Amino acid sequence: MGSVAERSKALDLGSSLSGGVGLVSVLMVFVWLGENQVSPLRPICDLRVLDHFVREARDSEVIMRGCRGGCGVMKSYFVPLTSVDFAVWEHTDVHGQAVEVQTGLSLLDQALNNAMKTVSNSPLASALENNISNIHSLGQILHSLDLQQARSTVLPDDSVPASAQTQEVSSLPELLQVQSSFLRGKVRLLLSAAPACQRQNS
Amino acid sequence: MRNDRLKIVFVLCLAFVSTGGQHLESKVAQLLQDKAEDIKCFVEGKDLTCFWEEEEERNNLHDQYTFTYSYENKKKMACVVSSLSLLASNKTVFFCKLPKTPFFTTLVVQVYRDAQMLYSRSLNAENFLFLDPPRNLTVTNSGKEGQLNVSWLPPPLKYMDDSLIYEVRYAMEGSNMGKVEVIKVSTMLVLLGLQSDTRYKVWVRVKPDGVAYKGYWSAWTEPVFGVTPPGDMDPLIVVLVLFIGLILCLLSLTVILSHHKFLLKKLWPDIPTPEHKFPGLFTVYKGDFKEWMSQNNGSIWGRSVHVYAEELPSPLEVLSEVSLTGHATSQREERKPVEEEEEKESERSDSRLTDRWREPPHAHWLMEQLRALQDNPESLSQSSLLQSHDTYVTLNQGDNERQDDDVFEETVPLQTLFTTAGTSSLSTSRSDLGSLQQSSGSGRLSSQSSFEYPNHTWPPKGPGYAYMAVADSGVSMDYSPMSSSRIAELGKHRMYTNDYKNDIFPHKWPLSGQHIKSGSGSCTGTVW
Repeated sequence: MGSVAERSKALDLGSSLSGGVGLVSVLMVFVWLGENQVSPLRPICDLRVLDHFVREARDSEVIMRGCRGGCGVMKSYFVPLTSVDFAVWEHTDVHGQAVEVQTGLSLLDQALNNAMKTVSNSPLASALENNISNIHSLGQILHSLDLQQARSTVLPDDSVPASAQTQEVSSLPELLQVQSSFLRGKVRLLLSAAPACQRQNS
Repeated sequence: MRNDRLKIVFVLCLAFVSTGGQHLESKVAQLLQDKAEDIKCFVEGKDLTCFWEEEEERNNLHDQYTFTYSYENKKKMACVVSSLSLLASNKTVFFCKLPKTPFFTTLVVQVYRDAQMLYSRSLNAENFLFLDPPRNLTVTNSGKEGQLNVSWLPPPLKYMDDSLIYEVRYAMEGSNMGKVEVIKVSTMLVLLGLQSDTRYKVWVRVKPDGVAYKGYWSAWTEPVFGVTPPGDMDPLIVVLVLFIGLILCLLSLTVILSHHKFLLKKLWPDIPTPEHKFPGLFTVYKGDFKEWMSQNNGSIWGRSVHVYAEELPSPLEVLSEVSLTGHATSQREERKPVEEEEEKESERSDSRLTDRWREPPHAHWLMEQLRALQDNPESLSQSSLLQSHDTYVTLNQGDNERQDDDVFEETVPLQTLFTTAGTSSLSTSRSDLGSLQQSSGSGRLSSQSSFEYPNHTWPPKGPGYAYMAVADSGVSMDYSPMSSSRIAELGKHRMYTNDYKNDIFPHKWPLSGQHIKSGSGSCTGTVW
């Protein structure tokens, strides 16, 4: 009798165990499939997208020039360095370039958000909003290029330590000029030289 | 050996410098015309070059000039100043080529002379690209008429291949008027719409497209010649066209021939003759109409002619007799309404008029009466006939009305007529009128009702027409216009010729030739 009970218990245990294992294995299979099925993001290599963003950054500069009233206050913003020395740039590796670009984009994003708080002129505000969304899109594009740069988080507050890669500007027009230069320069060079895109072209 | 090598190197260096110099010189020469800035800068390759003209006749010592540049709040950096003599314009310029040009940032360049700032300029280097012209321009014959294929290579650049814009200029050999085509990114173009068998010159130049990089137009390339293929009429097409033309001609000829009679009739129609109406007139009787008529008396055509020769009988209903010698009576067809009318008249007649009327008339007297009536329209208004509360249809021809300025009450809208009348009288004078229709001034019967005219006037109209007040007991009548002689005969009756339909008594007019017009109810009346 006891042996029967024991046997039944053992059977129950065994069956439950096997059920569990089966379930786990099925899940594992699914996970494996899922992992394999997930293909990397298709790289966005068309530079016309970036050209579009560059044009919109220039539009903001134009609106800024023509803005009368509610155009922001004199405030200091920390922005990336935009200068590109081709000789130096060519010698920098892609990942380094990617990091530089990513950091710069987040700095710009932060600065533009801060600037928007002080702007009441509606065309300028909408242009700035446009620029901010473009910067987010650029982040996505960079991600699609799979440059394996460290995903830098947006710095939470204004107290950004002045690193070697930043400069300080004191007004919104200057900020917009920096944005324009950054997009046309470093971001564009990185996108045009991205390995993912080169592979496509060749 | 070393000397030889050094010499070779030196020669090569010289060659390089001279070519570079050539390039520089040409670019400088081109930009000299730009008067906007004192310091003119451009980027050649990856380096920024800024130059300025020599001020006045100085000692030409370029040592005195100091060129500095800075960016991103960094400290100023110096650049070595060189001089260049332009042979073409016999000028001297000083220039400086930056060793490491930073792009995408604001550069501040300054020129000092003897520690005094001469010029200062702030610019972004990527906005002043001055590219070399495109290379390897080729013009080939595409084989198609009026077309040429043009292709070239972009200047040697990195990172900028996809942001260049080209301009292709082409002109016929010997002519200076050229057309320009702008093309983006692509390095080939097909020229269309050219003249056949002509020699064309083609040039190309390049510029950054202005999104990421901006700059000046490069110099034009050296012209390259191309000849368009000779235009020829494809022989097959010519043959086909001729063939089709021939077929069309034959077809049209066939059509014309087959229908030539029809066409002839349309284009050259016969003059119509009345021969078919007169059978045998021209053939048998040789145009003698009388003879032909006598022979053909029994034909339908002859009879119809005969009929129209007579005057149509015109029925007339006489309402009141002026005791004429039977002229009126002979024409009267209904006794009953006339009698009725007579009774009514006798009841309410004005003595004057009725007396007049009861006198034995003769034509002369009648005419006098008519004249009197014409002279005194007011008297007429008091006539028994008018004052009678019978329903009268007063009709008059529209034309005649216009002759008279008096407002004929017929022309007054019906409503006013009704309002002037007493309400009671509307009902009393109801005879068994059927579909009597009332005229409303323009000679048309418009409504079906009995009505009365209490004080209407009956202004005399021009001679030749007469009105007759008709008390219609539902009889459809048809009167023809009367001539004045007939009016004289009938007396002072106002005669109406009216056509209106009456369904009830259609049989009262069994006349041939009379037409009972239905529906329209148009009354044409004649009035004194």
